[in-house]
Amino acid sequence: MSGELFVVDNLTVTLPTSRGPVDVVKNVSFTVGRDETVGIVGESGSGKSMTALAVLGLLPRGARTSGSVRLDGAELLGRSDRDLRSVRGNAISMVFQDPLSSLNPYYTVGLQIEEMYRTHRGGTRRAARRVAIEALERVHIPDAARRVDHYPHQFSGGMRQRVMIAMALCCSPSLLIADEPTTALDVTVQAQILELLGELQSTTGTGMMFITHDLAVISSIAQRVLVMQAGDPVEYGTAEQVFSDPRHEYTRMLLDAVPRIDDEVLS
Amino acid sequence: MMRYVLGRLGGVILILLAVCLFTYLIFFKLSPDPAVMICGKTCTPERIDSIRDVLGLNQPLLTQFWDFLSGIFVGRDYGSVHCSAPCLGYSFQTNESVWSMITARLPVSITVAVGAAVLWLLVGVIGGLVSAVKQGTWWDRSAMGLALGGVSVPNYVLALVLQYVLVVKLQLLPFPSAVPFADDPLLWLESYLMPWVVLAVGYACLYARLTRSNVIDTLAENYYRTARAKGLSGALIMRRHALRPALTPITTIFGMDFAGLLGGALITETVFGLNGIGKMAADSIAKNDQPVIMAVTLLAAFFVVIGNVVVDLLYTALDPRVRVVSS
Amino acid sequence: MTLLQVRGVTKEFVTRGEGTMARKSVFTAVDDVSFEVELGETLAIVGESGSGKSTTARIAARLLEPTAGTVVFDGQDVTRARGKELASFRNNVQVVFQDPFSSLNPRYTVERIITAPLTYQGITPKGGRRAFTQELMERVGLNPDHCRRYPAQFSGGQAQRIGIARALAVNPKLVICDEAVSALDVSIQAQVLELLMRLQRESGFSYVFIAHDLAVVRQISQRVAVMNRGRIVEVGTRDQVFGDPQDEYTKTLLAAVPRINPEWDARRRGKRAS
Repeated sequence: MSGELFVVDNLTVTLPTSRGPVDVVKNVSFTVGRDETVGIVGESGSGKSMTALAVLGLLPRGARTSGSVRLDGAELLGRSDRDLRSVRGNAISMVFQDPLSSLNPYYTVGLQIEEMYRTHRGGTRRAARRVAIEALERVHIPDAARRVDHYPHQFSGGMRQRVMIAMALCCSPSLLIADEPTTALDVTVQAQILELLGELQSTTGTGMMFITHDLAVISSIAQRVLVMQAGDPVEYGTAEQVFSDPRHEYTRMLLDAVPRIDDEVLS
Repeated sequence: MMRYVLGRLGGVILILLAVCLFTYLIFFKLSPDPAVMICGKTCTPERIDSIRDVLGLNQPLLTQFWDFLSGIFVGRDYGSVHCSAPCLGYSFQTNESVWSMITARLPVSITVAVGAAVLWLLVGVIGGLVSAVKQGTWWDRSAMGLALGGVSVPNYVLALVLQYVLVVKLQLLPFPSAVPFADDPLLWLESYLMPWVVLAVGYACLYARLTRSNVIDTLAENYYRTARAKGLSGALIMRRHALRPALTPITTIFGMDFAGLLGGALITETVFGLNGIGKMAADSIAKNDQPVIMAVTLLAAFFVVIGNVVVDLLYTALDPRVRVVSS
Repeated sequence: MTLLQVRGVTKEFVTRGEGTMARKSVFTAVDDVSFEVELGETLAIVGESGSGKSTTARIAARLLEPTAGTVVFDGQDVTRARGKELASFRNNVQVVFQDPFSSLNPRYTVERIITAPLTYQGITPKGGRRAFTQELMERVGLNPDHCRRYPAQFSGGQAQRIGIARALAVNPKLVICDEAVSALDVSIQAQVLELLMRLQRESGFSYVFIAHDLAVVRQISQRVAVMNRGRIVEVGTRDQVFGDPQDEYTKTLLAAVPRINPEWDARRRGKRAS
């Protein structure tokens, strides 16, 4: 296990609420290897997004964590905010659900990529700008040299998510956390973004933690799957095992509930 | 962009014309006969007639309005007296040229407005910011409580209290007077300090609450979370991803408030006896001095309308989303 | 019997810049759309964002007036209906929206929400409001004892059931579901879909079911219209559209739907059956 890129071991996240502290993530453990995609799937309130935020220390104020989160053997949990800055965006970066609200409307996409690159790698604006253009080209944004000076609202939904991905990958992180990256997108665009993520992963070897509520999406992208329900990890295994031979009742129920496009109909 | 600006300016001219017309109708047609007023107590019908003639009151309404308008741009003649452009007529009370009354008093009003604006922006924005960052702490709660109280204190009450305490009782400050800066900088500062504070308090409280809620909203934005997830430094996150988005809408409100003040701070100027546009307006209304009322109304409308355009143009510059798309 | 006929409906939105001389531009959200809904059937309208499906639904529900075209309900042209005529249309056509929490008044109890359509018309239901509400709540699978609660005290799936109950209060002939199950978790979504189908079997009304999720549409519809950029590109029975799509766009759309690995899925079912 020590050879794994990313290890989450017995992670528990406790949030303060008006009714006292609540464990929103309970004893979650999983690993992500280089080149590997691990899917975390669950319905709303399952704690899947909290798991992701806990990794980067982005939890809401007052949250407490226990357990261990290690990247290349180095412990991340309990580190100071200042200390985690060198990890965020650099070794581990994140792509969020809604690309329009996740990009700052006041700045060009170029600047938003450049500021991140220069924070971690330094160098001149000119050099960072070249990196930004290359990053946009890598995610197949046409006419990147011109588009780099455009604002987020001038892009379509799918193109915006490409920008987010370009940004996330510009410092060559070893782990990418994608939190519902295709949920806000149309299905045709979703297919393109999933394809892009697969392609980028095969060229960069980045490990990926892919969070979604959509079992069909998980099935097409993940090698291993963790199913969560109300903060509990209910099932963890290879995608093939979870989908073809689910051990837990909840997983079976979820799989039965997914409406199918190809076979038998409910009524 | 050019087209947009020209369109806006066209709109401005139309609005100002409409304001002119309405003010003209209200003050010249609905109030007592100016000729009778000017004539005074010892009056003969002949004298009234001759005054009417000089002022052009016998002309049809539209002709009168046209004379008034053209007076502003090319000047006009009242009998044998030539009033050169920009001519806004003569005060019924003092016979002074209204234009020179305005130019004499405008600097006072501008001084009051600018000083107060600097004060309320500094106090309001910084106070709101600290409150937002320390949200929920005792600092935040007491500052916001104070701000709520500050908004509700009427200007004239605050002015009278300050004046009583600082000038009469403690004798820390002189009684305000419109001292030009060049004459005596220290006295200038002492004179204007109270009017600035009085005027700024209400706005500062309002701006503090506004800034606080804007910053809190911004801190909850997804792009703020993205900025943190990118590993940017705290200062960069604050400056780019919290302050810029939170303060941009405030510039709009500030522009409008400031423009409104340039037309004169009526209560503050009157209470402190500062000879600005606001006091001039109060005096002219009290004495039904129609040309002066007309002029101060127009001036206020002018500032508000121009302020509006400036704010809109500024906003297009500050917020890329409202920039006119040039295809 | 044809219940709803939408004929050549077009909706243009005029967007206008600021300033007196700014240019106007016209955006055609719905472009010459025609379809029919039979009594008792479910017609689904699918499309991606910006396809005009929601605008079409709103026009059919008379929440928006079309720029051109007509809406005929039960033989009556209701395109420009006003007053009494419109009220009687509203009595027959109800809408269930995507987000139950923003479409139910948070300050009203369930009882008041469900009986509101009757109250507006001055009708007191037989047996009183309480009994009427409780009966409807039971029909949509809610605990009738909760009729004094407020929307915020319910989960998303339950709140959507309240929305459905409210729609059924006037005993409509047509229910328009605008992304009615899109915001729900899959397990809840399946239950609400079941409910919608059961209610239709019981009462025999029609659905116009607006959705972006093709798999969901396939569960509930008898006929399907596919919209793209304001136009209907393909309309047919469910099996035609899903089994043998004719239009290129429909084919792209179907191909893009993510699927659970069919081999794994088959193995799972095999195990479950045995």
